[in-house]
Amino acid sequence: MTRTFHTLRPDVSIAEAANAFMRAGEEEKRRIFGMMVTDPEGRLVGMMSMYDLLLFIRPKHVHVWGMMEGLDISGLMEEACARAKSILVGDIMTSEVITVSPDTAVMAILDLMIKKHIRRIPVVTDGKIEGVVYISDLFHRLVNMLAPQT
Amino acid sequence: MSSQVKKMVLGELTVRDAMRMQVVGIPGDRSIEAGIRLLIKYKINALLVTDLHDSGIGVVSKTDVMGAYYALLPVDSPLEQIMISPPLFCRPDDSLESALHTMRSRKVYRLYVSAGMSGKAIGILAYPDIVGLLYRYCRSCAQSIVNRREQKLTDNASLRFRVKEVMTPSVTSFSETDSLSEIMEGLSVNRFGAVLITGDDGTATGVISKTDLILAFKHGVSAEVPARRILTRSPVRSCDEEDFIEDAIRTMIFSEIHRLFVRRHDSDNLIGVFSLSDAARVRSGSCHACVGSRIKIEETTHC
Repeated sequence: MTRTFHTLRPDVSIAEAANAFMRAGEEEKRRIFGMMVTDPEGRLVGMMSMYDLLLFIRPKHVHVWGMMEGLDISGLMEEACARAKSILVGDIMTSEVITVSPDTAVMAILDLMIKKHIRRIPVVTDGKIEGVVYISDLFHRLVNMLAPQT
Repeated sequence: MSSQVKKMVLGELTVRDAMRMQVVGIPGDRSIEAGIRLLIKYKINALLVTDLHDSGIGVVSKTDVMGAYYALLPVDSPLEQIMISPPLFCRPDDSLESALHTMRSRKVYRLYVSAGMSGKAIGILAYPDIVGLLYRYCRSCAQSIVNRREQKLTDNASLRFRVKEVMTPSVTSFSETDSLSEIMEGLSVNRFGAVLITGDDGTATGVISKTDLILAFKHGVSAEVPARRILTRSPVRSCDEEDFIEDAIRTMIFSEIHRLFVRRHDSDNLIGVFSLSDAARVRSGSCHACVGSRIKIEETTHC
């Protein structure tokens, strides 16, 4: 479990959230692909992931674009930037977040991540966030055990 | 033309050619607030409400959500309270013409596509999807205005449809001081997707769409507040009445907007609205010369 984490508020805009992703990445010295969303009391209310942001950017009519070569996407990005200022984190976040407790077994966490296709799981006690488990950290720990000792 | 494109002559087009594969479903006991989040995230106009077995039991569109806002329903009410049942289905191999006939006669904006009898949807077909398909068809045709420009051929401009021939020739506008409730009444009566907002001096200051209204609902904004409270003041996107519809459609598709306001030729006066729904409603192909690509659609409802 990683105890250092950054969070977002549901009432900040997507544009500010994008900034927060960049800053969190610099401060935590890892690539951030998802952030927890908390209310003013620090309780977990949702998660915003890379996927949510990519969905926001993906053109609605991309199947029409398919045939176009050398396309200028500036018009699209301009609209996305305008929308990013008025749509809030709370408008697109996922609110059904799977969590585990500090006592949850590592293999149970692994099973959850595989079954539910999730890459990070908040660790929560009585509604309070203690940390996050990342699939990449889990992977490194387990693969270390698999590798033959030299 | 490639054989793929040759197939796309009206008589041979099927639902499968035009439909969108992504269906966003949600259980009926989830709240309107959860529904709004999905509508915004996936940039869609309607949700399929499902039962425990993932079968479609109803549809909730942005219009229905707006209706709940207007009726002062709490935003945490369950979606099944406002859904329209049952959803209408068609098959992937149905002809596009028969699907359009169903949409017209049942006065719906979209059909869900199912392969079997189970009520599970594999896709969705709505008017913008049809416009998108036919835009692709026109785009690959040697006669298309874009291709002719690129080849620097002299174009017989009289063949091409212009925006003024297919637009809705009126602009519904409200003042910044009108309430969201009044705007919702206007949207509902006229079945528009958005209205122009004007300042005290009558100049256009922005647009309020159903999307803006459902976001306000989600954010807990009272329906009695004036329009200026939720106005984003982005520039009003517009085109000239003499523009070719192919160019206007291209702008809308690439800028992810559903409608353009129409200016009188060489002026700033707004005289109409041209939307993707208009493009589908009046004509499908953008060229007078291409009789085979046209689908005539009569009066229909907007979403």
